[in-house]
Amino acid sequence: MAIVSAFLVTGSPLPYLRPENPPWAPLAAAFKAASAALAASKPDVLLVYSTQWIAVLDELWQVRAHSKGVHVDENWYEFGDLPFDIKADVALATACVASCATIGVSAKPVDYEDFPIDTGTIVADSLLNPGRVPLVIAANNVYHDFAKTEALAAMAAATADAQGKRVAVVAVGGLSGAYFDHSIDIATDHIRHEADDAANKAFLAALTQGSTAARAAVTDYAGKTKADFGMKHLAWVLGATGGFSGATIHGYGPTYGAGATVAEFKL
Amino acid sequence: MADGKIVAGFIAPHPPHLVYAENPPQNEPRSEGGWEQLRWAYERARKSLDALKPDVLLVHSPHWQTLVGHHFLGVEKLSGKSVDPIFPNLFRYNFDLNVDVALAEACCAEAKAMGLEAKMMRNPGFRVDYGTITTLHMIRPQWDIPVVGISANNSPYYLTLDEGVDEMIKLGEATRRAIEASGKRAVLLCSNTFSHWHFHEEPALPEDMTKEHPQSYPGYKWDMRIIELLRRGEVDEVMRLFPQWVEEAFAEVKSGAFPWMLSAMGFPRTPAELHGYGTVIGTGNAVMEWNLESAGA
Repeated sequence: MAIVSAFLVTGSPLPYLRPENPPWAPLAAAFKAASAALAASKPDVLLVYSTQWIAVLDELWQVRAHSKGVHVDENWYEFGDLPFDIKADVALATACVASCATIGVSAKPVDYEDFPIDTGTIVADSLLNPGRVPLVIAANNVYHDFAKTEALAAMAAATADAQGKRVAVVAVGGLSGAYFDHSIDIATDHIRHEADDAANKAFLAALTQGSTAARAAVTDYAGKTKADFGMKHLAWVLGATGGFSGATIHGYGPTYGAGATVAEFKL
Repeated sequence: MADGKIVAGFIAPHPPHLVYAENPPQNEPRSEGGWEQLRWAYERARKSLDALKPDVLLVHSPHWQTLVGHHFLGVEKLSGKSVDPIFPNLFRYNFDLNVDVALAEACCAEAKAMGLEAKMMRNPGFRVDYGTITTLHMIRPQWDIPVVGISANNSPYYLTLDEGVDEMIKLGEATRRAIEASGKRAVLLCSNTFSHWHFHEEPALPEDMTKEHPQSYPGYKWDMRIIELLRRGEVDEVMRLFPQWVEEAFAEVKSGAFPWMLSAMGFPRTPAELHGYGTVIGTGNAVMEWNLESAGA
């Protein structure tokens, strides 16, 4: 299978919009390292899954050839706007829509001007993909569990393989989910709960040991930390890659109290 | 200025299907109709709203979810195209709305005075969520009354439900104080569906009403139970049942608009008027009104 690289990255816009803020600077720097690794893997397409693109009916796939505009995040609008200029691999995305039926998933293409591309996808594309490699973007259907998300990713990777494409897998989502519920001085940002910080670090250590250790850890970790959508974005990596032997944690830190990382997987 | 008052509150759910079915010029997709019972319910609500002659509409929407406190639209004019990320095939709406920034600021200040985290949204490029737009379009398609848009803080989901409801009750009290001090006639809009169990696949023709019915019979029974209680003015019983209702009907009222509106109106014991009920992709939707002027409140 033509998976040439794989990453799990935060979709928070904070390290993107304020990379100079000390608590967020390590994540911004980590994106630079991951971006270099992605470019070196010479992908034809990025297979993107963002927890922030929510679907409830069907599985949605972005098939608009070119999406361009300026997005304003509904939470973090005060830190700036998010311009985006995204190209899609329409042939692969369209094939993924068709192939969903083979795994019993109802799917639809999305091809609309001014469609609100989600913050996580914009952040990941902006920071990882300066070379503007085309994307295939899949929505996070909230009714799909970890196993179904794995199946979707495996189907997408197999479809890309059938087209002879080199694929970089990009899973966009957070770690522990406890944000501060009051305004903070962003220079003092930190993981809100010490227990979450410890759990995040233990989970990242599991990732470095490979997919067997990651699988063993993820359910308990996600439950304890209210992790972003039960870490379904990890399921995207597992399904697309078929497993990994380890990971390099390029960065870890807080995003207004919640946990965030930039991780690269060893295939 | 003083003597402002809340003249009415409406439960005004926001399925974008209703806008799609109506084919207004602002919405790009065209339909063959559908969901008539709910659209006729809104027709009745529109007439009632028109007679009330409000100065401002305040809407609390679950589709502007905020992590840090309660946010208020704080830009005088907001316009653009709102494409629903979940139903882009149905809702691509060109909106142009006027915000009552002064009242929004007053609500925000009162909320802070009550110890709530609150802030003003000042980014002019902000894309207003489809819940806010759908509710406002369905209740007042002329768009000629200024609005106050309020986000749904995620406290009912992140904290306990009781803690979340307590926050919304305080937010309602803050809203009422701000309105009273403003001298304005205000209408509150609770942008919520009741039972939220829904189908997971869309019919080939979304407006094919042969496919439309309650997705869940227990959810439907909750809808009828709550509507009947509200029609009898038994809001205390509704609030007693609130946690069970939210849990068993997966009710969207968990997002906070319902307790916010009832709190702002002082939990009126007068009967609410049912303008109509219908399902949308299986969810239960009621358009209901508390006319506080005719009730003498």
